Parts: sequence; structure tokens; C-alpha cells
Amino acid sequence: MDFYLGLAQVIGVHTLLGLSAWCVLHTGQVSLAQGGFFAIGAYASGMLTSMVGWPLWLALPAASVISALVAIAVGFPALRVKGLMLVVATTAFAEIVRLVFFNLTWRVPGPDGNLVGPDGSLGFGGIRYFPSNGWTSGEIVTLIWGLVAVVMLVLAWLDRSRVGTLWRAVGEDEVAAQSVGINLTAAKVSAFGIGGAIAGVAGAVFAHYTTHIEHSNFTILLATFAIAYPILGGLSSLLGTVLAVVFIQGILIEGLRFLGDWRSLLFGALILLMMLIRPSGMITSPLGRLLRGGREPDGVAPRSASGKEKAHA
Amino acid sequence: MLELQQLSRHFGGVKALDQLDLTVNKGEILGLIGPNGSGKSTTVNLIAGLYQPSSGSLRFKGQDIGALPVHERAALGMARTFQNIRLFGNLSVWQNVWAARVVRESGWAGVQARWLASGRQARDEVRQLLAFSNLADKADTLAGNLSFGEQRRLELARAAASGAELLLLDEPAAGMNAEEIEELDQRIRALRDRGHTILLIEHHMELVMEVCDRVAVLNFGRKIAEGTPAQVQDNAAVRAAYLGSDETVAEPAATATATA
Repeated sequence: MDFYLGLAQVIGVHTLLGLSAWCVLHTGQVSLAQGGFFAIGAYASGMLTSMVGWPLWLALPAASVISALVAIAVGFPALRVKGLMLVVATTAFAEIVRLVFFNLTWRVPGPDGNLVGPDGSLGFGGIRYFPSNGWTSGEIVTLIWGLVAVVMLVLAWLDRSRVGTLWRAVGEDEVAAQSVGINLTAAKVSAFGIGGAIAGVAGAVFAHYTTHIEHSNFTILLATFAIAYPILGGLSSLLGTVLAVVFIQGILIEGLRFLGDWRSLLFGALILLMMLIRPSGMITSPLGRLLRGGREPDGVAPRSASGKEKAHA
Repeated sequence: MLELQQLSRHFGGVKALDQLDLTVNKGEILGLIGPNGSGKSTTVNLIAGLYQPSSGSLRFKGQDIGALPVHERAALGMARTFQNIRLFGNLSVWQNVWAARVVRESGWAGVQARWLASGRQARDEVRQLLAFSNLADKADTLAGNLSFGEQRRLELARAAASGAELLLLDEPAAGMNAEEIEELDQRIRALRDRGHTILLIEHHMELVMEVCDRVAVLNFGRKIAEGTPAQVQDNAAVRAAYLGSDETVAEPAATATATA
């Protein structure tokens, strides 16, 4: 049972991470910085609860805000580069973040007298908010999936509302988007900021359920997973991201554990197969539309009655 | 409405546009023609803000717009179409027009339009524009799946939706057959009747001569003639530019499209 609860935690956190990349990808930006924002959320929230003694319900939004601010700060220079160069630049950023935490040693006496805080390459242990407040695994899973639900509702609303359409327009064609009056800076930076806020939340819950974090949790592999989820799941639907996380984390990584070392080989092959069978993601637009009951993502039923008659005539 | 003064743009040593003076008056349809490589597209890109002028000034509604970024020029009331159609291919027809419609709101109205579920008026306008463009029953279709003619109509609808007083149409008839051009002719007039001022950059002579109030002719980056369609057609320099003379050798491709 504990295994499945643990898996549910991992899948929940990775879903949040995937959703953060989903925001940025919508504006046509492939960012490998999401792992960095995740790390910042993890360290910030861990420090706030274990070193400052804040309750989680304060530390979580605070970590989210900090990650969002950093993401906005990254979003501005990121405007100047596109495509592969953006990948390189955001990778560099993620590595800088990782190396900062690799070198950060800042330990203070905790509530029980022992030193707590990041300890360089040894990592940051003793983030014991959940155990010392008597949270059960089930409650932690509930919290994580509650957050996933909230984030998905907000993003679904954003996507159906105006902002989502503007993000997509920028992702489709920047020149055309500018020419109808869309402010590229505002669109891209807001996507970065919202994505950063979500990654920060993900990092914060990750830090608290593992209780020990270190720089090696936040390598490029994590950032690669983050963008793999929405791409594999299909950008047109939020549900696709969740399915992709379940597929990768649940089935490929955990479900095939019995295969031992052969697993990694199969892992690559299965992802390749997915890309071949469904190149635009698991949930494509027509399928997504079917799932939504035929409505457009912006929630408008634009056809007038007469238009419909004409279409059927 | 739009004044270009001594506007130049050089690419390296090439003078793509050389000291162009041009005025677009409110409510008119001004044609800008010229052989291939004469500077027409450069002019549009300078007006829209995709290129920065090497020298000269650009005034729109009395305001110097030379230093404004593309989206701020659009916000002042100009919109364009592209020679090679640029739509948001994976967005629906509705969303293409709708995106252009909502960004035109600014301030609190803009916040509401972008972030909150308001805007019945915006919806009505989009619906009406789609009907005007004969795209009402395609509202749910992805823009990338439309036929060529429909894509051209959608691009026009999107430009009109942004609330632009000035529409810059960059070769809207490219790739169209005679019937479609006839329809485009009607559509351009209808857009003017809806209150838009139009700068039409076009190769297709019949359309230009038919629809424009005034025509300016470019060749090698310089304006060689300006006037009513009849005046321009009789102009010796224009004939030389298009048909070639001893001094000026026109490109054969330009001649072919011009008379097609």
C-alpha cells in the first residue's frame, strides 16, 4: 500500500512539473529551466519550514511566489533567444541553480537544537514538517492531488479564457501575433511566471515528502522529463500531461522494474513507439474535443443557429 | 492618416527603399505597385515595424511611430496581412479572429477581456466578422485546415478584428484565380465601407486599377509615379518600368505577373 501511495506522490509532483512546462511550451518556448524553478521551490520552502519555522500553508505559497519571481527574471532575457539557443540558455540556468545549491551551506539550530539547513553537497536533510506534524502518507497524497486539481482547474480556465488563446497565438506565429497587437513580452513572461509558480509548488511538496533534498535531484534529467510530459501527452489538452506522467512514471519506470536493466532499453523504445503512433501527443485536438463534448477550448459555442443549418444543408 | 517622409531602408549597400514620400488619406484605398524587388514589401514591413528605417520618418495619426515596437503600432490602429499567409494554424478560425479582437482592449477593459469571462460585445463582433468573411460555418475548423482562399479571407478578418483603422494588405490576390479576385475586390470595397483605410500592395494590375482611388508606383526603391489609376497607366516611366525600355530593363517575372 505504501508503495502505491509513494507512487501517487511521485506522479502528482511530476504532473505539476509537467503542467509548469505546459504553460511555457504554449508560447512556443522550449525551456529546460523548469527543473531549476522546481529546485528553488524545494529549497525555499524547506528552509522556510525547517529553519524559520513557518507552517507549510505559508511556506508553500511563499516558495511558489519566489519561484515565479525568479522565472519572470529568467523570462525577460529568454525573450532574446529562440529555439535551440533558448534550450541552451535555460539549461545553463538550471545548472547554475543546481550548482548554487551544491555549494550552499547555511545551517542554523532548528527547533530541537540540531543544526538544520542546506549542507552543500551533502544536501538538505531534516525537512520534517510532515512527520513532526503527524501527516500520514494518505494525507500527503490528498494534499498533492488537491494541488494538482487546483492547478489543472486554473490552467483549464486560463486555456479556455483569453490568455490561453493569446499564448497559443504567440506559440503559433510570433510575427503574426505581434502584428495583431499581441505583446510578445507580456505573453512570454507571463507564461514563464505562471509556469515558475507551478514548478515552485511542485518543488515545495517534493522537498517535504522526501524530507531530504540534494543537488542531484535537480539535474537536466528532471527538466527533460518536465518537457517530455506535455509533449508526449499532447499540448492541446491538460489531461494528456497527466496521462503522460502516469505512463512514464507509473508504467515505464515503476511497472517495468521487474525487467531490471532491460527496462531502460524498453523505456526508450516505448517513447519512440509513442511518437511514431501519435506524433502530436496522446490526446490530440480531435480527441480532446470529443472528450470536452465538442466544445472549443475557449468555451465559446460560436456557431449561430443559422450557421449550423447552413453547415447541415 | 499615414505619412512617410524621406523614408529609406538600406540592406548593406542595397537601397531597398530610397527616400519615399507617401501619404495615405483617411478613407481611401491607396495602391502601391511596382515590379519585383521594387521595395513594396520593404515599405509594408517598415510601416508595420518589422524593419527599422535607415532614415526618414513615419507618422501615423499625427504621431511619430518610427521607434514603436510592432504590437504598439498595431494597438494604435493598424493591422496587416502577409504575402505568405501567416495564420495561427493550430487555433480554430474563431480563435484566430478572437485573439486579434481581445488584444485591442487596454487598461481594465483589457484585463477583463483577457483574464475574465466577459465580452459579449467582442463575441458578437467576431461572429459578425466571420459571417462577413463567409467563414461562419467554419468557426470550429483549425485555421491550418482551411482552403487557400478561406485562409486569405480569415487573415483579412483577423486584421479587421483588431480594430485597425488602417489595413495594410500585402499582395492579397497572390495565388488567386479570377473569380476569387473578383470576390476580393468586393471585399476590399466592403472593408473600406466599414470605415477602414486601405493600403493595397499588389502585383495584380486589374485589381489595383479597379479598386484603388490612387496608385503609387515604386521601382528600384524609388517612387516613380503617383496619381489616379488612369494617370498612372498613362505614365511613360511606369510603362518603362513594367514593359522595359532601352534604359530600364524590367524583370520578365514582374511583367508576367503584372499582365496576368
